Amino acid sequence: MLKTGLKPGTNSVVMLHKTMPQVAQELHACIGCNECLLACPVVTDAVTIDVLNCETLAGPISTQVARFARACYQCGACVAPCPVGLHRDAMMMWLKVRMLRSGRGE
Amino acid sequence: MMAVTGHRERSKGETGYSWLFFAGGLAWFMRMVVILLGTGTGVAFYLWYAQQSNDVAPDSLAGYAYAITGTIFLLLAAFLYALRRRSYSKRAVGQLNKSLNWHICFGVLGLVFLFLHSFGNFNPRSGTYALCGLVALTLSGIVGRFLDRLVPRLIAGEVHKALTIQGDDRIEIISQKLQAIVVHNSQKLRGFTPVPGARSNPGRDQSGRDQSRPYGLMPLPGPISNDFSSGDKDQSLHTPWDLAYISLEATPQELSHEAGQYRFIPDKKSELTHPGALMPGAQEHMSDLQEVERAMQREQFYRYIIRYWRKFHLMLALLTLALMLWHLIYAAQLLLPTVLHW
Repeated sequence: MLKTGLKPGTNSVVMLHKTMPQVAQELHACIGCNECLLACPVVTDAVTIDVLNCETLAGPISTQVARFARACYQCGACVAPCPVGLHRDAMMMWLKVRMLRSGRGE
Repeated sequence: MMAVTGHRERSKGETGYSWLFFAGGLAWFMRMVVILLGTGTGVAFYLWYAQQSNDVAPDSLAGYAYAITGTIFLLLAAFLYALRRRSYSKRAVGQLNKSLNWHICFGVLGLVFLFLHSFGNFNPRSGTYALCGLVALTLSGIVGRFLDRLVPRLIAGEVHKALTIQGDDRIEIISQKLQAIVVHNSQKLRGFTPVPGARSNPGRDQSGRDQSRPYGLMPLPGPISNDFSSGDKDQSLHTPWDLAYISLEATPQELSHEAGQYRFIPDKKSELTHPGALMPGAQEHMSDLQEVERAMQREQFYRYIIRYWRKFHLMLALLTLALMLWHLIYAAQLLLPTVLHW
């Protein structure tokens, strides 16, 4: 992940995307506490953290997760409540890129 | 056959990220129904009251009813969502989404009812300013919802450019390729390096030039010439160490210091004279690198849009709240003497 912006440790820092190995590492570190989904203003009750983690990295994407991925607007509300300091927004961005590429047949 | 096709579709899963995707569900439908019902009720009452009464002013009975209802809607819009966001107890997945939907619903209804409260009376007073602030606030929310749909799609497009198919960092991959090219070319160039202190070596003319090598061949300035620093060090050992030997020619140290002034003139028949022969593929990789950097800059810009539009909406909310308080104080100054006198 690339940091850009002003002072680190403040809200003025804009975090850019993560690579797939970094996303995989964070997914393996996820403890499934659901705090990110509780803080998300977009997710509906149809998505669970297990399904989301399974479908983020690889494999087919279900309709509920796809809808959630498209609706996610990268507000970053999911990052602060994570007890292990993971970046769900970066994981969702990887999911978005996967869907974008699948639509282009890549 | 149909079953097989359906099974393939399921195994493939959901694909594509369209610009015009629709993420509305039951909550969105409910929100739209409530907005339409509320607006319809308010407008119907407005029309009925305009026919029944001659007192169609913001300070009429109906005007006050509209003002109170609109203010309640606005307070619900402001505080329900804000409190829900900050409460960490007894929450369930999806509740915040419902709160956001009600926030939008109450915000729109509040605007509609306060607009009806004006009864078309738009004199440049505190109420008009408050209404303008409210319109700006609602518009910023609507535009923000559109940005929330469009900007992440733009970000995904830029991230797609910045990552390889496997999801690795393209900048790192391109940098490795460039490094390999530089190493390859520096090894290729090493064979053309002139040896300083050529007077003591056989096969050199009076100017110290190696007759067996192309004329005037010198190390290139920049990163390639840096690779010769160790070579220069080795070559300086071959220079005869003689205190009585005086030469007006530049020393190897001076030559390396002023390397930028020397020209690289290969033999005309050499393959190095072809354009791009020294750095094959480097230009393409450099342009790829610049493209990825531009994509990341755009990604950063889009993320700033998302962040600062939210702050802009919040600032407008505070401004509108201040204007509404000003209007309430103004209205109270007109109302209270009348009420107390009565």
